[in-house]
Amino acid sequence: MSTTATQVTAHRPGPRAWLTLVVCETKMVARDTAGLVVPLGLPLLILLTSAQAAGDQEVVAGFSALEAYVLPLVLTMVIATIGVINMPSFLAYYRRSGILRRLAVTPASPAMVLVAQVIVSVLQTVLGLALALTVAFLGFGASPPAHIGTAIGVYVLAMAAMYAVGMIVAAVAPTPNSAVAIGLVGFFALGALGGMFGGPGSLPEPLAELGERLPFGAAVQALAAAWVGVPVEAAHLVGLGVTVVVGSVTAGLLFRWD
Amino acid sequence: MSSDTDGSGRPLAIEAEGLVKRYGAKVAVDGLSLRVEVGEVLGILGTNGAGKTTTVEMIAGLRRPDRGSVRLLGLDPRRDRARLRQVLGVQLQQAYLHGALTVAELLDLYRSFYPDPRPAAELLDLVGLEEQRRVRFEKLSGGQQQRVSIALAMVGRPRVVILDELTTGLDPLARRRMWTTVERLRAEGVTIVLVSHAMEEVERLCDRVALLDGGHLVAVGTPGELTARAGADTLDDAFVALTGKQLEAAG
Repeated sequence: MSTTATQVTAHRPGPRAWLTLVVCETKMVARDTAGLVVPLGLPLLILLTSAQAAGDQEVVAGFSALEAYVLPLVLTMVIATIGVINMPSFLAYYRRSGILRRLAVTPASPAMVLVAQVIVSVLQTVLGLALALTVAFLGFGASPPAHIGTAIGVYVLAMAAMYAVGMIVAAVAPTPNSAVAIGLVGFFALGALGGMFGGPGSLPEPLAELGERLPFGAAVQALAAAWVGVPVEAAHLVGLGVTVVVGSVTAGLLFRWD
Repeated sequence: MSSDTDGSGRPLAIEAEGLVKRYGAKVAVDGLSLRVEVGEVLGILGTNGAGKTTTVEMIAGLRRPDRGSVRLLGLDPRRDRARLRQVLGVQLQQAYLHGALTVAELLDLYRSFYPDPRPAAELLDLVGLEEQRRVRFEKLSGGQQQRVSIALAMVGRPRVVILDELTTGLDPLARRRMWTTVERLRAEGVTIVLVSHAMEEVERLCDRVALLDGGHLVAVGTPGELTARAGADTLDDAFVALTGKQLEAAG
């Protein structure tokens, strides 16, 4: 081995690099006003416009349509807008603009950016969740979930499923603009089939059945079940789990760094 | 070991042997070999499509050669990736950065990747962007963005620096400033590979020049040697004589 080569030691970016990167990604997301407003504002708007009426309709003993339908829908919208629309558009922009390539010639790896984006997305989700819950609990007197542990578990699984869908979008979108377009279409398609525009009863039976197994509908249904304290249907959990696996595998096979 | 020195015993920073790269049916680089001594400034000159960028991207480990090998300070750019990144600084053509971050934030981000980075103030001074330190990258002019990119190539105190189109798009003042920067780095003993269109730049900065055409190395030598070999008066004329092509004016 040559002397010049052995003098060089590898140095992996440490905790300070990770922290700096997460702070930088947070600034990127926070300075993208439109991208910030949609996941925080849109669900809140739905909540404000429908909570009052929903709160008066008792669905199950002790729970109204607010807990059984509106809140699960609103909270699912938070993770769906972040996972399916925002995250892929950032990744597509980073790839297209050469940012990932530039990072590939530093000791940091482009994968660090991916992880940092997920961390920031989770922070953004927590913010959206806190905002919606605060309004629902304090403003409209909503009750907390009957099975709180199950609700949290379902939410985390649903979040993973939305990121998995987002990774497929990031993998197949050739440009940042097409990532936003594919993300939006994907979000509205999953949402429409999952009951975003009126309950599942408003859809033809086969479409409603399909929508309930896709990640948006499955998340709403499973979250609603946990909230009112009935067992979560296996089909909904399977739908979310399959989405995580299919999304990860597809993205793993198709995602290009440059 | 033979890969450490050239024939005269001087240590080699870069040794590329028989590099071949094809994109589909097109051969971008065709059997190119190149040696750069430690502390040397090598210019790579060629028309568009001559294979300059592909060559330096293979040296930097961003592209895998179809054939041939690269050693950079004795390291294999792909196998010894992690160690190579400590000693190599790269300025890429058309690499954008996080647009919503300011110059200072970008410098801090890239500084955090290295164990002993240059201070931000020194980097800002190096490229003359002190006044723009709080400006977002996306709000900078093209030339200023280019200077940020150059500063980032110096962040990790590299021993080898690859600069692809160093001064393309810069105004004359910024161009001269970059030349001074390169001279400062050379004085520190940094090995530099400079891809360029600009004869004046190459003549002023480079110890040796490699002329590329159609993916081949046509000639390599000091500017004086190349001019003499071609029986020409200037490096510009030598380029035309040796490649049969006119080098386009620097952008």
